[in-house]
Amino acid sequence: MKVSFNELQGLSRKAFSGIGFDDGDANDAADVVAWMEAHGLGGITALKKGLDFLLNEDKSQPPELIYQDADLCVVDAHNKTILGHASLAIELGYAKCRARGLSVTKIRHCHNRMLIVGYLSRIARRNMSVTAFWRNAHEPLTEILVSFKSGDAEPEICMYSLPSTPDDTEPNNGITLVMVNHVNLLPDLKPDAPLNDLLRQDRDAMASWHERSLVEGIEVDTAMWERLKTLATKMLVEASDDSRQGAGAGTNDND
Amino acid sequence: MISATSASAPNNLRPASEVMKLERLGSMFASRLSFVRSLMRKMITERWQITNTVFDLDSRGHGLAVYRITTPGNCYHCVIFSRELAPEQRSDRVIAEAWDVTFALVEGEVENSLLEQMAANVPLQEAGRQHPRVFVISRANKSLRNFSQFVGALAAGQQPDPAWLTAVGYLYRTTAVYGNGKFGIADFARLERNPDFNRPFAAQMLAVYVLRQFSIEQLNHLARVQSPEQAIPLHPELQRYLGVGNSTGLGMAPFLINHPQLIQQWVYGRERALSSARQEPANEKTHTKLRALLARALKHLQQTRTEDQEQTLRNQETIGSVAEVINWLDRTLAHHTLYEELISWARQYCSLEAQELINTMLIELYPELVDRLDDELGCQESMDLQPDMKARQLKDLIDRKFSWALTYREDCPDDNYWFWYRSAEKEEPRLGIRGAESGAEKETALAIGPRISRCHAKLERFIERSPNAMVVEFLMAHPEQKECVRRIQTLGETPYGEIRANLWHRDMKPMHLLRTKLSFFGASRFDPKSDRWVRITLFQGAPLPCELSNPELSPEQLDDWGFPLEPIIDTGENDQAMRGGAQ
Repeated sequence: MKVSFNELQGLSRKAFSGIGFDDGDANDAADVVAWMEAHGLGGITALKKGLDFLLNEDKSQPPELIYQDADLCVVDAHNKTILGHASLAIELGYAKCRARGLSVTKIRHCHNRMLIVGYLSRIARRNMSVTAFWRNAHEPLTEILVSFKSGDAEPEICMYSLPSTPDDTEPNNGITLVMVNHVNLLPDLKPDAPLNDLLRQDRDAMASWHERSLVEGIEVDTAMWERLKTLATKMLVEASDDSRQGAGAGTNDND
Repeated sequence: MISATSASAPNNLRPASEVMKLERLGSMFASRLSFVRSLMRKMITERWQITNTVFDLDSRGHGLAVYRITTPGNCYHCVIFSRELAPEQRSDRVIAEAWDVTFALVEGEVENSLLEQMAANVPLQEAGRQHPRVFVISRANKSLRNFSQFVGALAAGQQPDPAWLTAVGYLYRTTAVYGNGKFGIADFARLERNPDFNRPFAAQMLAVYVLRQFSIEQLNHLARVQSPEQAIPLHPELQRYLGVGNSTGLGMAPFLINHPQLIQQWVYGRERALSSARQEPANEKTHTKLRALLARALKHLQQTRTEDQEQTLRNQETIGSVAEVINWLDRTLAHHTLYEELISWARQYCSLEAQELINTMLIELYPELVDRLDDELGCQESMDLQPDMKARQLKDLIDRKFSWALTYREDCPDDNYWFWYRSAEKEEPRLGIRGAESGAEKETALAIGPRISRCHAKLERFIERSPNAMVVEFLMAHPEQKECVRRIQTLGETPYGEIRANLWHRDMKPMHLLRTKLSFFGASRFDPKSDRWVRITLFQGAPLPCELSNPELSPEQLDDWGFPLEPIIDTGENDQAMRGGAQ
């Protein structure tokens, strides 16, 4: 079925509230999912993949700051989705970059990492260049690089797999963010790099997708839409005769 | 992006501590910057054309009507479905499931496939899936009192009594007008780059305006059907005096609270207009015009009827005050600082409504200063965190800009009396009494004052432990405060910021919230049905579509339709009919 951007954002917000997100996180998560979907980056698919996990995770425990100095911070997300309080780790990196010109933020042990792109678009809007890097799996080992130029609404994204997996690779479910205040960090692939399955998504393609989303609407999976609606109803109060009076109007207007 | 910060705002604006009090916001009147006025002005200036292209109604007025709207660069259609409605189904509330008419404003041509899709979905409203080329969907119910009387009179060859329209100024009452992506229709992001509809609520108001024309033509049709030989069409003066009703309730409140940047932008626009007008030196011509405008408003208010006792008292108080204002003007000659003296005098002797009416009229006097603000009432809504702000600076910001919120008392029952929630019945917004009604655990976070107060208390404790910490460090300790902090940082920088009220307080009047928004829409004839439900009229007195391109009427004449008066119909000389106006 086709939905509008505002509809997707609004229903997602209500669904995240129903799941138990605080207002701020519900708003951010909804913005991220809708932004990703409208830009052709599979926001709903990513959410669908992580939704069961999200429903069962303990939302009371925010990410833990395990190290910081003036330029660097390391945050442990305790195996939670990036949609939760992880935005604060990004904001911490942003604050350090504002003070020092460059910052490195490492978020360890997090899920749904692709969804971080939606939040990074806000960082770019606030005049900061930001690059995110993470490795996705071990067989084949895939690297993903997302770079926003300061002020741009869309990023450059590179995804490729490496021809061989180093023996000593530790399991990696983290993200590294580099933010810079005064220059751009755009992906510039080495010409001789032996990369497989290279997938590049450029700003123009994403901008066109966004335009199409606005004009034609956004296609969503009906079952997923119904699931979001069910989650959203958790914040609705059951009706009763008393509650019907709470709207301050009668039920018939034949006058 | 907010268009202005407190630092860049003109110096002589009224302070937020005065303007943003809910009681004052709830005393405002429509002005020339209101959205219906602004839309009409654009339609007049650009000579928009509205023509009926399909009028396929049966003898009971049921069927299909389509109107084509042509602007300088585009064309749109308003498609209206009129159907039988059982009396027991006629409800103005959002929980209704059927209506007398449903309609939609759509971009471009209406080809058969689109019409079929619309016929299957527009009448369902919220339960349908709407096409992405649709900009607005809405629905309306008949005002039965007027409808049958009007048809009967016209069928008998008589013009209806204008007093009927003074009592209830419309034949149809809309019960919701949806835009911005609801149920699959186009997002506002598409409209904001469309010069025809980039002002707030312009597309919604156009759809309502077209409904007004349909109501006139449906009425004439029904009279003709009833009495083909005898029936006469509705007199042009009565057509002009006919508006469209709107019935609304607590649904206005979430919008006001969830779009604080937009609301502050509307207030900022209106206050800049007022500030510009106040600086002008009054002269004999503007003195005379001001008096004439106030006299018309006085008569309009005298003609306004409502069964609500509180609103009746407010109207009477305003009528008394406005009569005093006119007396004051009669004994005070035009001079350079006339307006400032009037405002200062009114502050002492007039009701809040009368004070705001004076402001509305001052704005009316200076189109050349005010009308450019029509295009400055929108804004990009985005609230971003300033994570590197020091936590103590955030506390200072709250102390300086949000001190009104700090009067909230956690342990005071009156301060926590109401809770706002959405019902499982079509998500209808409702108010409950905390402790007496169930559902408080699912309340919607509309009471910003208490939230700011709680955030402030947590900040105080945090700063004692970490005096040099940044806001982001405060939030890592209190992540649930993120939305509130972002809002404080964003709105704290604006000239007007938040509506200053504790929406949980026992004495809070929801009607003030409703009127705040409705006055920006351009509503008149506030007719409360309870403390949280109101009927209003839009477009009463507005020019008719056929007048938009009438070369005999100047844009200034056409634009002068605020505070309309009951016309006196001379049935023998239709064209000579009097028209209320302060030319």
